[in-house]
Amino acid sequence: MEIFNGLMLGLSTATTLSNFAYCFFGVLLGTAVGVLPGLGPIATISMLLPFTFGLPVDTALIMLAGIFYGSQYGGSTTAILMNLPGEASSVVTTLDGHEMAKQGKAGRALAAAAIGSFFAGTVGTLFIAVAAPLLAGLALTFGPTEYFSLIVLGLVTSMVLTSGSLLTAFGMALLGMLFGMVGTDINSGFSRYTFGSPNLLDGLDFVVIATGVFGLGDVLANLQNEHARAAGVAGVSRLFPTREDWRRMTAPILRGTGVGVVLGILPGAGVLLASFSSYALEKKISRRPHEFGKGAIEGVAAPEAANNAAAQTCFIPMLTLGLPGTATMALMIGALVVQGVQPGPEMLTQQPALFWGLVVSMWIGNLLLLVLNLPLVGMWAKLISVPYRFLFPLICVFTAIGVYSINNNVFDVYLMALFGVMGFFFRKVGAEPAPLILALILGPMAEEYLRRTLLISHGDATVFFTSPVSLGILVVTVLLLLSILSPNFRKVREEGLQEAD
Amino acid sequence: MRVALMRFSQDFALGLFFMVVGIVAGVIALGYPIGTPGRMGPGFFPLAISALLTLTGLGALLRARRAGSLPIEAVEWRPVFIVPVVVVVFGLLIERLGLPLAVFVLIVGTASASVRFEIDLKAAAGAAVFSAICALLFVKLLGLPIPMAGSWLPDFG
Repeated sequence: MEIFNGLMLGLSTATTLSNFAYCFFGVLLGTAVGVLPGLGPIATISMLLPFTFGLPVDTALIMLAGIFYGSQYGGSTTAILMNLPGEASSVVTTLDGHEMAKQGKAGRALAAAAIGSFFAGTVGTLFIAVAAPLLAGLALTFGPTEYFSLIVLGLVTSMVLTSGSLLTAFGMALLGMLFGMVGTDINSGFSRYTFGSPNLLDGLDFVVIATGVFGLGDVLANLQNEHARAAGVAGVSRLFPTREDWRRMTAPILRGTGVGVVLGILPGAGVLLASFSSYALEKKISRRPHEFGKGAIEGVAAPEAANNAAAQTCFIPMLTLGLPGTATMALMIGALVVQGVQPGPEMLTQQPALFWGLVVSMWIGNLLLLVLNLPLVGMWAKLISVPYRFLFPLICVFTAIGVYSINNNVFDVYLMALFGVMGFFFRKVGAEPAPLILALILGPMAEEYLRRTLLISHGDATVFFTSPVSLGILVVTVLLLLSILSPNFRKVREEGLQEAD
Repeated sequence: MRVALMRFSQDFALGLFFMVVGIVAGVIALGYPIGTPGRMGPGFFPLAISALLTLTGLGALLRARRAGSLPIEAVEWRPVFIVPVVVVVFGLLIERLGLPLAVFVLIVGTASASVRFEIDLKAAAGAAVFSAICALLFVKLLGLPIPMAGSWLPDFG
């Protein structure tokens, strides 16, 4: 009953006219920017952040959720029509989605993705409504020891699930932690790595770094081979799935949703894992595995459902523990902090209208995506075909204004330029920046929890193994690290993630 | 303008970067109170992370010596230089010239990083219109506290 009341409260928050309108704008803007090739969700969200600054907290949060889903879906559209995945988790969609588009079935592929996503989103939202309060209750019993172990698990997962070598990913995570140390140490009031600059006392703003590394870094990387960028956009014809399509995609959508809901909760990179696993699962149990990779609608519907279900449930660790599961979630936390909201177990009890409003607006966002995207798909296709030389100056404008408007400080603009160059460097040397971004948020938390744990235990580190919850989490972490040594997993990881670049 | 970098491998460049950052950050952290594990000072965690980063960098350098380490592709330096510099110029101008003019400079400046850039009246007009739209959108509609005309243009403010 409590959940029912919560959902009603959420419904009344999310359906006020202005909140609904901002959710709609968020979805529209998120999709419009998300479909632009070379802009993943992180760059999209950070560019659109200033649109939420002047709004009241609940409205801003709801609009952010809209932007988040819009950018996710926009990425799938680009993946299907242009064979350009905006982020690693839509790589799988390109496999069969773009094949279908080449066969003139782009409309049906997009519809399959939209329908799969909507169904998965609905289930995911319900799952959040049920599981989040339970988990938030559980989280309140967690002490610093358990939190520290969870953070380690999250960081290790993100390292295992990025392309490139584990060593590189480890280094990137450490680098992110170091960047997180900049600023005033909360315990001692001591300034660390500020080089006497007052601009650095509050630390490096997370959104500024993410915008630099992903937004500007992508621009610099894309400008490297402008001549090679003349990719074609597939035309969109018939939009509605045939009866045969429905028959073939129903079960995959159900299975994909199940896979996504469960894997999405994992800290680290659950979304990515979800879309890969559900694709592999469908291929394995299909009666016609030879069609996969050649335009099988199951290969679009299942991973898209899994992707979206996981995108939904990865809000759970963020909302209940305050720990981001993915780099995108880390950015969402950064955006919430700008709004003065600290996600964590207390959010549900202290700001129930905010929490439930967000949950319900997720579902509304998914619904809007379905009604918005299919009719507007022609417009999105046009947007995609805008030449990059017209596009990238506008991307620079939005990122620069966005970063400036966070603190109205030009220092942030300079910082973004610097991190843009760094992001470019990381791409050139084959280091994926996702672990760095995640560690930037998780690093300071890790330090804080480690400090508290060791303060309580008088410097005795064995507590991490004597607390059952912490021990369990660390065992999972070790298993994950060992799994990378297994030749089977290694093969899947290399095949799957290599294309993500 | 494609300049082939010396035959650095990816691992070499990254390893070097990790090591330099790790050593510098570690040396700085040595100057902070370290404390004990039971009562960690502000230098404890940064020192540990820096040490690990230095070791990771060393690992990458060692790996770079093995055959099969990927070389860095040739870099087109023009955009890598122009775009960040223009962004910095935008930062310098936004409070002095105001949003619309600074945006105009940013658009034209970054556009010149493209190999297909040419002076084109129509594109310039487009940039001007877009700057005006940005000004209306961000300052008037969204109400962000950014000046329309900055301190260098007092007569228009």
